[in-house]
Amino acid sequence: MTGLDDPILPTSIAWGLLIAFSILWVALGWWLGRHNKTAEDHMLAGRNVGLALATATAMATWVTANTTMTAPQLALQLGVWGMLGYSLGALGLVLFAPLARRIRELMPRGFTSGDFIRLRFGTFTWRVFLLVSLIYAFGWLVSMAMAGGVLINALAGIDYRVGMTVILAVCVIYTLLGGLRAVIGTDFIQTIIIIAGAAFIAWLTIDKVGFEAIHFNLMEERPELLSLLFPAAIMFLFNNLLFGVGEIFHSNVWWSRAFAFGRNVGFRAYLLGGLLWLPIPIVAGFIALATPALGINVPAADMVGPLVAAEVLGLTGAIVVFIVVFAALASSLDSLLAATSDLVTRDIYRGHIRPQASEQNQFRATKVIVVLLGLLTWLAASYRGELPIIGSLAELLYFTGAFVASAIWPIVAGLYWRRANPHGAAWSMILGSGIGLASYFLIGFYVAALVGAAVSLAVMVLSTWLAPRPFDWDRLSRDATAEEVRTA
Amino acid sequence: MIISTTALSVIVVVATLVATLTPILLLAMFIRDWKKGRLW
Repeated sequence: MTGLDDPILPTSIAWGLLIAFSILWVALGWWLGRHNKTAEDHMLAGRNVGLALATATAMATWVTANTTMTAPQLALQLGVWGMLGYSLGALGLVLFAPLARRIRELMPRGFTSGDFIRLRFGTFTWRVFLLVSLIYAFGWLVSMAMAGGVLINALAGIDYRVGMTVILAVCVIYTLLGGLRAVIGTDFIQTIIIIAGAAFIAWLTIDKVGFEAIHFNLMEERPELLSLLFPAAIMFLFNNLLFGVGEIFHSNVWWSRAFAFGRNVGFRAYLLGGLLWLPIPIVAGFIALATPALGINVPAADMVGPLVAAEVLGLTGAIVVFIVVFAALASSLDSLLAATSDLVTRDIYRGHIRPQASEQNQFRATKVIVVLLGLLTWLAASYRGELPIIGSLAELLYFTGAFVASAIWPIVAGLYWRRANPHGAAWSMILGSGIGLASYFLIGFYVAALVGAAVSLAVMVLSTWLAPRPFDWDRLSRDATAEEVRTA
Repeated sequence: MIISTTALSVIVVVATLVATLTPILLLAMFIRDWKKGRLW
């Protein structure tokens, strides 16, 4: 990402907004988490989250800085299909709705996605899954922290490392204070800010520029953006769809919510969240199509959204964009910090280091782990461009594509296929990730997820067909409850 | 095959309308859950 020569927002105003919203999120985090007494309270918000908060947190977590900044970029580069293709990311949430119901039914006392893999497929597959899941989670955490620094720098001219440190520190503090309850509570407010801000800018763009002028100028200058047969855009559509499904199906961010939502809430929350998320990339992306009509010169494609907002709305537009981006970054970073610390606490600390850890031990451990994760993320994001893998946001995300996609089929088979082979699940992730990564380096970034998913599917189907292993679904609930009783 | 002005405007207006109504819907759901004691 290359920034703009002149920031669109005065630095003093940006600092004022950063400080005001940081205080708001930290205060809310403390207030929401003040009654947390056990690891279960802290990690799963009491396991009875209602439909309104559940729907909002699903939406907020899936609206990242990528959605608000990349959707306009894709509309500018790939046209109508760019924004429509991005909106299909909603299918990941919609398809996870039945999985969320199944997860809650099979493991009403479960904590993490790792718990499920361990009880369903055994220790070896569990360790492979943890490796895949933690590589992805850390990659996403670092990319979000980097996005925070880059965007704050581009929008307001605040130094990359300072902006990144502020946003990461704020998210660590309120996640530490309030756990998942703080994450879900702040997500609700952040969702409203993000969607209302994006809709506000879209309505004003429609009012000030108009569809006739947008269409006429695009036909004159960039007619390919209006084409419905744009091959690169159609390829992007499928790639994005697969990547999104893989991200949601395996990540503990979504599993921890499935465990935390009240009975019968998960299915409706993910379905409604997905359907309401669908228009957001169109609303955020459409404004980029107005650039020819507005006569804007776009020096950096990924800054087209803020540029149009500032052109149409002036200082107000710049302020709205800054608040929306800050909310989008925080809503994803906090969720990832909480879900990854849960996974490390339950599956590494309790699973490998201290199996007899009590509820209170885990409660303390999860707080220490949030801080350590924050520090590790800060270190990796500080050395952006200096480490071989951490080059740019896009490179980092595409790199994790092979890992993410290779976990789709073991998860689906584990939840629905009684005879799924446990070792087949492990090897489908190992070979899917390995061959997917090889294709990333040998062919191109755009095939990593596709190859990873295809290899993983083939291994899962073949191993189960050759050596089926029947499984008793009741064991999941029985074993998870027995483990909780043992450590209570 | 080029998308028409009408089709483009219908897609964008419908999406923006849904996005505008979403915060209102979420707030209504929040108030309903709160009144029934089902927020958490």
